[in-house]
Amino acid sequence: MIQEGKFGIAEAMWLVVFTSAAKVFFTSPATVAALVGTAGWYMTLISALTALLGFAFIYLLLKRFPNCDLAEIFELALGRPLGFIFTGLLAVHLFFAATTNLAEFGEVIRIYVFPLSHNWYIVGLFILNVFILSRLGLETMARLAKLLAYPMLLGYLTVVALGIQNYDINNIFPLFGSGLKKTVLAGIVRCSAYGEVIILAVFAKSFQGLENIKKEGLISLALAALLVSFSLLLFTLTFPYYIAKEITAPMLEMAALIDYGSTLQRVETIFLFIWMISTLISTTVLFYSFVWLYCKMFRITDKKPIVLAGSVVLFATSLMHTDVISVILGEVEFIRKFGSIPFFVLPLVALIVAVIRKKGVNADA
Amino acid sequence: MLKKAAPLFLLLIALLLTSCWDAFDPGEMLHVWAIGVDRGLADKWRLTLLFSSLEELTGGGEDAGVSRQERSSKEDTIVIDAPSFFTGIDMLNSAIPRRLSFTHAQTIIFSEELAASGLVDNYIMPIIRFRQIRKSARVLVVKGAAQDFLEGVAPFAGSSVSEDLQFLGRESKNTGLSPVVTLNHFYTALNSPYYQPIATLAALNDFKSLPKEGEPWGTQFQTGGQYLAGALPRAGEGKVEFFGTALFRDGEMVGELNGDQTRFLLMVRGEFRRGFFTMEDPKQPDLIIPLDVRALGEPRIRVKLQGNKALIDVAVRLDLDLLAVQSKLHYEQQPLKGLLEEKFQTIVRTGIEDVIRNCQSLNVDVFMFGNHTTKDFLTVPAAENFNWNERFQNAEITVEVKAAIRRTGRQIVL
Repeated sequence: MIQEGKFGIAEAMWLVVFTSAAKVFFTSPATVAALVGTAGWYMTLISALTALLGFAFIYLLLKRFPNCDLAEIFELALGRPLGFIFTGLLAVHLFFAATTNLAEFGEVIRIYVFPLSHNWYIVGLFILNVFILSRLGLETMARLAKLLAYPMLLGYLTVVALGIQNYDINNIFPLFGSGLKKTVLAGIVRCSAYGEVIILAVFAKSFQGLENIKKEGLISLALAALLVSFSLLLFTLTFPYYIAKEITAPMLEMAALIDYGSTLQRVETIFLFIWMISTLISTTVLFYSFVWLYCKMFRITDKKPIVLAGSVVLFATSLMHTDVISVILGEVEFIRKFGSIPFFVLPLVALIVAVIRKKGVNADA
Repeated sequence: MLKKAAPLFLLLIALLLTSCWDAFDPGEMLHVWAIGVDRGLADKWRLTLLFSSLEELTGGGEDAGVSRQERSSKEDTIVIDAPSFFTGIDMLNSAIPRRLSFTHAQTIIFSEELAASGLVDNYIMPIIRFRQIRKSARVLVVKGAAQDFLEGVAPFAGSSVSEDLQFLGRESKNTGLSPVVTLNHFYTALNSPYYQPIATLAALNDFKSLPKEGEPWGTQFQTGGQYLAGALPRAGEGKVEFFGTALFRDGEMVGELNGDQTRFLLMVRGEFRRGFFTMEDPKQPDLIIPLDVRALGEPRIRVKLQGNKALIDVAVRLDLDLLAVQSKLHYEQQPLKGLLEEKFQTIVRTGIEDVIRNCQSLNVDVFMFGNHTTKDFLTVPAAENFNWNERFQNAEITVEVKAAIRRTGRQIVL
């Protein structure tokens, strides 16, 4: 039986927050601006609320099968073959999300920082860190997330405060963006942006009880939603919607605009650290979740060889895209549109089947 | 095994991280400070690049026997005609023994001719993608050719040209006689369905405006802000002037504002911070009263849409400090204080109204009123369909100015 360490609420919370909120530093804000115009900052709150509903089902599922993680629950609720398929679908999706994260990071960083370095070089160095962190395990990742959270938050708030010179309140109007109906619909569909909360169920045994998982889920969802919404709001205040939709890495450009004369400028370097570290944690957690589920599926007790092999596959798949547009409009948009199925629909189906088949602790109720 | 390999592994990573493809030796780079753009003769664009002297990089400079003042400004610029900005860079990189870097480019200069031809739009569009050029770079429109401007510009009192351009840009915040327009502002306005772009007007002064002989000036009043860049009656050090505003409509320069008009424009845009104004003494018109004027917060702009028409109320609040009273009348106290405030309010209000009328005749909303109209619409398509840029000329705009004397300088005449 493979085991993970145990850690507290704060560690778990930051792990989920990093994994969920890191995407705001990529191209997603531009896509959101193109989709809903000025309404992106509250559209994401609708997404978070939808994700909260999804998490409620995940929580009910965990409650029905105490002391079990998601892979075990799928098997208990659906039987071995179907449980295997459900776990596999989730694992593949998590791996795909990690790949996309990395591909997007590699492409965007080449545009802004390392235009001459090869993709394999940037992604390769990144994978090296993903590999080391994965070898060290979930507890190390969680403790690292908490350790880095505070300086990163400080850096983020510094950039946010300095950017005040570029905020224009008129930019948030018209309030309903491309239309309220479109905003609500996009908000619901894009709830997968917060789907990473599922890692609380994937590693359920490491979070010291159901009550802790509930707390961690609620706090991390709220915090991630707050961070993403706040970032999108500031982004909207800085760039009007007709410009916002054409910026590759909006948050980075927002930081690059800060200019207080020769005293203070070029503060995007602070932002680069925030961006890289959050991406590292986010990608590693997604990748490690895949490794964990994979080992569960095939009942592999030693995950080390899988981490190595997975890293190699992750490296290869992260380079398998034709161009940056195929990543942004193809892979990332696919995850946003359909990511809610593996993240929330699969647990919901498992819950319904468990109730029908009277599986779990409430079976006799 | 892993523990034993760790030091070797870390060493490998350290080596890898220090030698990526983007590494460069600072000595190999040539940092461009300003980019001048004209219409070319041998090709579509004429690019003039102002860069830091290689003498400084190589430890030359005054030790090499040539002082900064003596050095011809041509030594600091390079010119090329090219089909595009990027091809121009490559063409230059093959001709100069350094790699051009634009990461420190602080100023982008367009010639008035290029701006008036409507080609700025074509030019800005490609360079906005270029990662090396920061969007915080200033945008200038110069009288004459950008090449002449950059070649003719000489460092002021021993400073460097790049510093001069930066300081002049910043100083305009304290005078209000020219706007501070960054590449980001300009590009955003260029694409905006709600307002039109402006740029700082700049020029080299040939000092011919300063009369050397003739009758002494009488008592006729002038504000001092009635000039355009390049026409200030002055002589001496520093040829560069940032004075006035270039007005654009859909990427084409269609007009210009002088220093005074620029101040009124900036008051409405909420970008006026401070400036010294000179006004006639209300009681003794042959004498003047200089005032230190500061904006008291953002202007209040209210837009009401009535059918196809927009009714706009603008309220500007200013704080005044008395700088001098030639007539020695007691303007510090009522009733003269109120009289002076009222007179100044009228000057600013009529000034703003004149600039608005001028811009309405050109159909260019450079006041960003359109941005305020968006509050009246719930959705983006509805706001865009209103087509503000075409409706601005018919808007009814009322201006209210409140100015109050707060301080009286180092004298309190009781």
